Amino acid sequence: MFLRFIDVRKSFAEDAVAVDGVSFDVPRGQFCVVLGSSGAGKSTLLRLVNGMLEPSQGRVEFDGVTVQRRVLAQVQPCIGMVHQQFNLVPRLSVLNNVLAGALPKISTLAALCGLFPIDLRRRACRLLAEVGLGEEHLYRRAANLSGGQQQRVAIARAFILEPQLVLADEPVASLDPETSRVILQLLRDESRQHQSTVLCSLHQVELAVEFADRIVGMRHGRIVFDGPAEEFDEAARRSLYGLRVPRGGDAPGEPHEQAPPEASSPESDPAE
Amino acid sequence: MAEQTPRPTSPDDWRLRKPFSLKLVLTFLAVAVCLAVSARRTEIDKAIYQTAEGLAYAVGLTDEAEVATGWNNVMASAFPLTFSAEREVTRIEGFDRNDLPAFSYLISKPEREYDLDRGEWIETGEIEYLVEPFGYLTHVLWKMVETLEMAVWGTLLALALSIPLAWFSTRGYTWNRGTYFLARAVCSFTRALPELIVAIFCVLLFGFGTIPGVLALGFHCAGFFGKFFADDIENADRGPQDALRSTGAGRIKVFRFAVLPQVTPQFVAYVQYIMERNVRTATVLGIVGAGGIGLELKGRLDLSDYSHVATTLLVIFVTVFVLEQITQSVRGRLIDV
Ligand SMILES: Nc1ncnc2c1ncn2[C@@H]1O[C@H](COP(=O)(O)OP(=O)(O)OP(=O)(O)O)[C@@H](O)[C@H]1O
Ligand SMILES: [Mg+2]
Repeated sequence: MFLRFIDVRKSFAEDAVAVDGVSFDVPRGQFCVVLGSSGAGKSTLLRLVNGMLEPSQGRVEFDGVTVQRRVLAQVQPCIGMVHQQFNLVPRLSVLNNVLAGALPKISTLAALCGLFPIDLRRRACRLLAEVGLGEEHLYRRAANLSGGQQQRVAIARAFILEPQLVLADEPVASLDPETSRVILQLLRDESRQHQSTVLCSLHQVELAVEFADRIVGMRHGRIVFDGPAEEFDEAARRSLYGLRVPRGGDAPGEPHEQAPPEASSPESDPAE
Repeated sequence: MAEQTPRPTSPDDWRLRKPFSLKLVLTFLAVAVCLAVSARRTEIDKAIYQTAEGLAYAVGLTDEAEVATGWNNVMASAFPLTFSAEREVTRIEGFDRNDLPAFSYLISKPEREYDLDRGEWIETGEIEYLVEPFGYLTHVLWKMVETLEMAVWGTLLALALSIPLAWFSTRGYTWNRGTYFLARAVCSFTRALPELIVAIFCVLLFGFGTIPGVLALGFHCAGFFGKFFADDIENADRGPQDALRSTGAGRIKVFRFAVLPQVTPQFVAYVQYIMERNVRTATVLGIVGAGGIGLELKGRLDLSDYSHVATTLLVIFVTVFVLEQITQSVRGRLIDV
């Protein structure tokens, strides 16, 4: 199996257990969505995969190798990541932001001088074209792009090193519903084209059902649903968001930090 | 809400606070007393009296004032400003009477000697001088250039010294708590020592000249750069740094791509500020023997050559003014790197 969570537990303090005994496997090439409300432990789970956090118990296996500090230098460059807040460097150009994803592949001296080999730069251009940006964006500052455009750049950055796995931590949580679909579609297309596996966390049921091959539902750090997107029904939704019958359709029963998924008023895609 | 307003009362009964609390009044009184005592010790009263006397003299109310006498003496000898320089011909190496420097000319003055037997001055001959009409002005201008160079090198030295200081003063880059506090302490220490003190010390070690000036400026500003660079690096947004770190990029690479771009505008602003203040400081450092135009100023002041002093001050003023205008106009553009 390509990615394995084996009885993974992560606690930040005695009483703050973010991930509580999670076990599941992700086969190669799958678009797997981790679905759960705020505080369910999705970010924590994803950060355990690329070694940004270490499990308190259990282990994560990536391509047969247990993720731990000793092997991070080999494992991390094989894993791309997309973030909710884009996490681009605002004052850096679009091109340099994408290239920054390839830093492990160049020497420290070249990095200090800001020199990337031409094949990496060409690859960055191709990726930017794939995510729908043009030559005119190359030397624009990331800060001057719309949210949707920034996330496109972030996706290009995540794919620059031909990652086998892409982690996406609520990649659309700070985008409007219209743009969210475009970005998720893009993420799926890119992963197909580059034969990457995707582990994507979301809190919007509709988007998960629409884009996922498989949904892993999390609540309070535990898995409460695991199955193909088609099997995600009303019962699964309730187990995920609490027992209270949701008002007005699907507002989750727990307090929510992000905008509820249905609060959609058709807006124009800021990416254009 | 309910317990704060138990029952509705008429606005006429609402309790209003007094505009001045007793505590405030007492504090003001205490401060006033302290200032009064201190004023006696620092002769503030005398300063006011003498200034008033001087002003009264200026508008013609009195015929005598201490400061006015000093003012008149200085002014009388300061003007006209001295731009020219005279040199004894016999002391000029390789002097060629037929090939004088441009615009210069020769004058002769009687050589006089004091005769102790007769108790009077007697003429013993003639001395020839070479007069260069703008010789002194040129000399002072070169001293000013030297001062600017001191400021530049002082700033560069400070930058070089601040790199390790900033590195160890930053959480996440320093080795451990020990190195962190040590580096922070060094930053505070160098900033706490005034340049003049450092310069005096360096003059003892390295002798008169520009070296102690550059060292003093570099030493003092290294702490400033170190502290402010470190603070900005610590406060830089973590998100982009984490994003690059998670791909396996090392600390130096992450610094170069996720930290440096974020802090560059502030860094440029600091360097510009320090550059400006180093020019001003460098002009006075010479007073303790550390090279530059200050050395010239001190020498002329000691000789009471007020017309030379005035020329020097004029050059300093014009330079600082011009530099300020230049930096003002460059500021906006530099920050947008
Ligand atoms: N560094 C940390 N220190 C202490 N507690 C943490 C830390 N990171 C996360 N937690 C806690 O772990 C739990 C799960 O957090 P996590 O960020 O994984 O949730 P999430 O599902 O990603 O939520 P969201 O949708 O808001 O991003 C939360 O209760 C959170 O408070
Ligand atoms: Mg999260």
